[in-house]
Amino acid sequence: MKSARFTRSWPWVAALAAAALVLPIVVADPFVLDIFIRVLLFAFIGVAWNLMGGYAKQLSLGHAAYFGLGAYTSTILLIRFGISPWIGILAGGVVAMAASLPIGALCFRLRGPYFAIATIATAQVLMLLFLKFRDFAWGAEGTTLPNLGDAPLMMQFESRAAYYYIALVLLALGLAITYLIERSWMGFYLVAVGEDEDAAEAVGVDTTKIKRHIYLISAFLTALAGTFYVEYIYFIDPNTAFSFNVSVEAALVSIVGGIGTLWGPVVGTVLLEATSALLQSWFGSGHGGVQLTVYSLILIAVILWRPNGLIGLFTELYQRFAYAGAGRAKEVPLDG
Amino acid sequence: MAEALVIRNLSKRFGGLRAVQDLSFSVRDGETVALIGPNGAGKTTSFNLITGYYRPDDGSISAFGRELVGLQPHKICGHGLARTFQVARPFGKMTVLANVMTGAFLRNKNLNIARSRASAAIEFVGLSAKEHIPARELTTIDQRRLEMARALATEPRLLLLDEVMAGLNHAEIDQAVALIGNLSKRGLTIVIVEHVMRAIMALARHIVVLDHGQKIAEGTPKEVVANHEVIRAYLGTGYRHEAPARGVAC
Repeated sequence: MKSARFTRSWPWVAALAAAALVLPIVVADPFVLDIFIRVLLFAFIGVAWNLMGGYAKQLSLGHAAYFGLGAYTSTILLIRFGISPWIGILAGGVVAMAASLPIGALCFRLRGPYFAIATIATAQVLMLLFLKFRDFAWGAEGTTLPNLGDAPLMMQFESRAAYYYIALVLLALGLAITYLIERSWMGFYLVAVGEDEDAAEAVGVDTTKIKRHIYLISAFLTALAGTFYVEYIYFIDPNTAFSFNVSVEAALVSIVGGIGTLWGPVVGTVLLEATSALLQSWFGSGHGGVQLTVYSLILIAVILWRPNGLIGLFTELYQRFAYAGAGRAKEVPLDG
Repeated sequence: MAEALVIRNLSKRFGGLRAVQDLSFSVRDGETVALIGPNGAGKTTSFNLITGYYRPDDGSISAFGRELVGLQPHKICGHGLARTFQVARPFGKMTVLANVMTGAFLRNKNLNIARSRASAAIEFVGLSAKEHIPARELTTIDQRRLEMARALATEPRLLLLDEVMAGLNHAEIDQAVALIGNLSKRGLTIVIVEHVMRAIMALARHIVVLDHGQKIAEGTPKEVVANHEVIRAYLGTGYRHEAPARGVAC
C-alpha cells in the first residue's frame, strides 16, 4: 500500500535494529535493562493488539485473557509436568487460539463499545476461574517458579541480556507478521472491515472469517508475551496474569503511537514508558499521585490533539520535509 | 435469453410495516432493468433482500440458477452479484486504488494482479488521476465512481446500482448514463434503482414500478410512463416523457 515510504524507511529500520542489538553490551545497569525489556514486551503486546484493534478496529479491552492463558499454560506445564517453557510458550499460544474461537463467536456479535465491554468481561471471567482453581493453578496466592539457575533450555538465565534478546525476538516476530499482513490481501480486508463492515461484505469480504482469523493470530502472539513475562518475573497469580492493566496498556500504546500502523505500538510504548520513568524520577514517590496525574494529562492531550497517534504527526512532518526536498530537487535542472 | 435473476413472491415486514409484499419479477441475461417508485416503496429493501443484507420472510431469489436466500452478502457477491449503496460507502482511510483492490482480491489474492485489475476498473470509471487520493477526500460523483469501480473489480455478472445519480448535476448524469450504457454494452446485466427519469428512459429496457412494497406495473419504458396507475402513484399528472425531465420530485 505504501511501498515508497517503506523503501525509504529501510535504512532507519536497519539502524534501529543494530542499536537494539548492541544495547545490552553498552548498558550494563540491570535496572535500565529492565526498563528496556518492559518496553520491548509491551511494544510486542501492543503490536499483537494492533493487528485486531488497530487494523480491523475491533477494540478489545480483554487481551489480558490471552496473556494470562499463555502465562498459566506454560507455568502449569513447567511445574506440574516439568515441560520446558520453550514448549510451554507454544502450547500457551495454541490454548489462547483455542480460547479465542468461542470468545470471538460471542463477542463479535457486538460492535463498537459493546464489543469492548464484552471482551473486558471475558478476561475477568478467566481471572475468577483461575482464582477458584486452587488444586491445579494455585488459586489466589499464586506461585513462584522454581529457580533452576542458568538453564537456557528451561528459559532461565543468569544474565538479564538474554531476556532482553528474547523480548527483542518476540517484537521482531510481531512486526514481521504485521508487515507481511499489511502488504497482503489480508491487510486490505482488515482495514476494510475496520472502515465499514457492510461495504466490505458487499465486495466479497467474509468479515466474520477475517475477524476470527486475525483474533487467532492476535491471541497467539499475546499468549507468547504472557509466558515470557512469568518466566521473567518468576511469579504468577491471577491478578498479575489477567491484569486489566495489560489489556489497557496493549490498547493504549497503540492508540498513543498510532492505531493501525506498523510502528505505532512501538512509538507509543517508548514514549509512554519514557514519560512514566522520567516523571517517576522527577517527582519521585514523595508527592503521591503527582506523577500519575501528569501522565494522565499527557495521555489526554495526545488523544485530544493527535487522535491518529504520534506516528501520524511524525509522518506529516517527514512528508513536509521530504516534499520540500523533492521540490528543491525538481528546481535544480531549471536553474541549471 | 436465459434468466439472470428470478424473484418470486418476495415479502419482508419490519414490525407492522410491509416493506415488500409478494414481489415477483425477473431480469434476463444482459438486460438493464430499472426499479422505480416513490420513496418508501421498497426499492432499497428489495436490493438489501437480493444482496443478503436482509433475510426475506417469504419468497425466493435465484440468480444464474442458484438460490440466494439465506446466503451471507459476501457469498452473494462471490456468485457474481455486486452492488453499490444509496449513500456511497467508500473505505475512507484507504486510497482509491486500495479501495478497488479490496474488491479485486475476491477473484485473485495476488497483489500485483489485483493492482492491475483495480487500475483497469478505475480507468473505466475515469478516476485514474485520483488513484492515490484517500477515498474520503473525493467529491460525491467521484465517490459514486469509486463504488462502481470497486463493485466492478469483483468481476460481477449482475450489477445492482442504488440511486447512483442522486445529487449529481446535469452533465454528471450524462456521464453516469454513458458509463452504465458502456457496462451494458459489455454484456453486464444491470438492475438500477433510480429517481432520475431521464437516465431511466435512456438505460432501461424494462421497468418495474413499486408502490407501498407492491409491484403496481411493469413493462417497457413507454408502457410504464403511459400507465395511469404509475402516473397517479409516482410520476404525477404533469409528467410527459418528452418534457425536459428534471428528474421527479422525491
